[in-house]
Amino acid sequence: MAEELERQLLVVIFDVNPVWWGIKSLQGQAQITKYLDCLRVFVNSYLLLHFDNHLAIIASHSTKSVFLYPPMKETGVIEPEETAPTDKVGNDRRYGHFARVDNTVTDKFKELMREGCEESDIRRDSVIAGSMATALCCIHRMQNELPGKLNSRILVIKAADDAASQYMSFMNIIFAAQKERVVIDACILGHNSGLLQQACDMTNGLYLQIPNQDVFLQYLLTAFLTEAELRKHSIVLSQSTRPREVDYRAACFCHRSLVDIGFVCSVCLSIFCQFSPICSTCETAFKPPPMAAKTRKKRKTPA
Amino acid sequence: MEDQSEDTAYRWEGDYEKTWEVLQEDESGSIQASIEAEINKAKKRRLQQSRRNVRLGMMRHLYVVVDLSQAMCDQDLKPNRAVAVLKALEIFAQNYADQNPISQLGFISTSAKRSEVISEMSGAFQRHLKVLQDLGANIITTNAKNCTGEPSLQNALQLGASSLKHMPSHTSKEMLIIMGSLTTCDPGCIQDTISELSKQSIRCSVIGLSAEVHICKHLAKSTKGSYGVIIDEGHFATLLNEHVPPPVEISPESSLIKMGFPHHVSPMESGKISLCMSRNKFTAGGYFCPQCQAKYSELPVQCVICSLTLVSAPHLARSYHHFFPLPQFNERKVSGPTKACYACYKPITTAEYICAKCKVQYCMDCNAFIHEILHSCPGCDISRTQFIPSSNGL
Repeated sequence: MAEELERQLLVVIFDVNPVWWGIKSLQGQAQITKYLDCLRVFVNSYLLLHFDNHLAIIASHSTKSVFLYPPMKETGVIEPEETAPTDKVGNDRRYGHFARVDNTVTDKFKELMREGCEESDIRRDSVIAGSMATALCCIHRMQNELPGKLNSRILVIKAADDAASQYMSFMNIIFAAQKERVVIDACILGHNSGLLQQACDMTNGLYLQIPNQDVFLQYLLTAFLTEAELRKHSIVLSQSTRPREVDYRAACFCHRSLVDIGFVCSVCLSIFCQFSPICSTCETAFKPPPMAAKTRKKRKTPA
Repeated sequence: MEDQSEDTAYRWEGDYEKTWEVLQEDESGSIQASIEAEINKAKKRRLQQSRRNVRLGMMRHLYVVVDLSQAMCDQDLKPNRAVAVLKALEIFAQNYADQNPISQLGFISTSAKRSEVISEMSGAFQRHLKVLQDLGANIITTNAKNCTGEPSLQNALQLGASSLKHMPSHTSKEMLIIMGSLTTCDPGCIQDTISELSKQSIRCSVIGLSAEVHICKHLAKSTKGSYGVIIDEGHFATLLNEHVPPPVEISPESSLIKMGFPHHVSPMESGKISLCMSRNKFTAGGYFCPQCQAKYSELPVQCVICSLTLVSAPHLARSYHHFFPLPQFNERKVSGPTKACYACYKPITTAEYICAKCKVQYCMDCNAFIHEILHSCPGCDISRTQFIPSSNGL
């Protein structure tokens, strides 16, 4: 049976927003290092599933996005033996490939933490959109370089809240992911994210807000370890992938309130909640709707 | 060939002169570098075609007229013209749906001196695809028996115009004719039809599969459309693709359109089955029109009860990249050891592309990917030097 070669590629985006994790650790609720350990166990299990599973981990900070794995160098040269799986057993009897992934992730993470950031860089939201855009570029590159079919998946582990300013890039990323057949999964530690809900719904990914954060690893292993293609065979996963109400309503440009029925400029597609004669975005003058003309006439007749 | 003026020589006459002179051997006698440069040039040309500061017709109503006459049995396109055209149109319909989410599409066929609508004007792109696939399969099984007679350009144009003239004036009304035949059999004077079309500002473009025909060129010219004759299959795809992005608007009118943004009710939540108005089937859950509560299982759609256009916010967002196109990156030749591509960490070999806003460097492949598919610069997203004002927030 000549089966087409299929590979898996998982890109994990880990939100390391300093404000969110700082507050959590001050409250004694969560330590980022514990979550990083869970993540390491998770990626090791993922690599264990198949020898040819590919992996990348991106840390998304409030103003930067860093590859934790594979070890990307400034000059762009990655030593092939640094990423290729080997059977070599490490000093502590660990499988060599795992040891290397573990060490790289830990080292890179330490480096990132040591670097710290400027006070001006501390923000409440992380550059998730930017990290996802980089992830898509990497996936695009891998698709070109690896022979056979590549099933790519992005898993976003999100802590901090959404930033409305990322809406446009986020939407572009979702459409690009749809085109490239990349599945976006989201594991939410903090508040619900409207943007990621839409992203997961539109790419048939899994959206999960973790109710109990003590068992983070279990959630990762149960929900996000299986590839997207296999999820339909699991009753629990296939039901939870179905969208619970994803809000696709639009916000009007004038008052930023959600509208059921709105007016859309035919030139620039701006959304308004009421009729205005001039579009505030593209300054097009509109012809008045037939309704408005009628009411004027009515007023004239009694006078 | 598309945009030549009347008096100059045909482009293909010039294009095929001494093509081999482009390739230059380097010191070692290899032409690899030269070929790569040519490929990169072609990629760049495609990227530089972006238009700025023009008003685009975002709401399009496009009828594609497919010639299914005797001439379409020719086997110059494999397996024959009809099948090749229908296959290409499937891809076209998908791309069109992707780039013009709130637009509509319809298909007309013409054969045996008649014309008929094979797929009604609608935004249900899955249905169009099904029609095209069925038609293609039918032609293959019957060995193109139903491709008979002569096409009728006038009948097809009139059929399309009769439907398009009811469309509101702010929409972009278009017809795209794919002609295999060199002749047309018309019931009356086609000049009258053409002047009628240009009066209604219906833009007609023609893609010829055989050779240039005067009446097609005249039709395209007088209705502000484009006319092209294909060289080979690749060129056919290119010509078709030119009709995918929204065109520059020719009608001066614009208006605010009332649109509904319906809620989605999931099957589990509603629990009851109700009639889907677009497919005439009973289904559980769906989108309910905020004005009249009619139910639809897919968006975008025009409500058949109250004629409100129903869309979702992502449909509109899908078009935004046409309004806020990503500026071209500056190209810089590099030599020796350099930085890696900012996004994919591939070592940059020949040229790097630098975003003017965030000053990071990309490789050729990422440059193309970012401009053609992603439409958003990763560097700008990360350093938050966004050129796009935040709109449509949550």
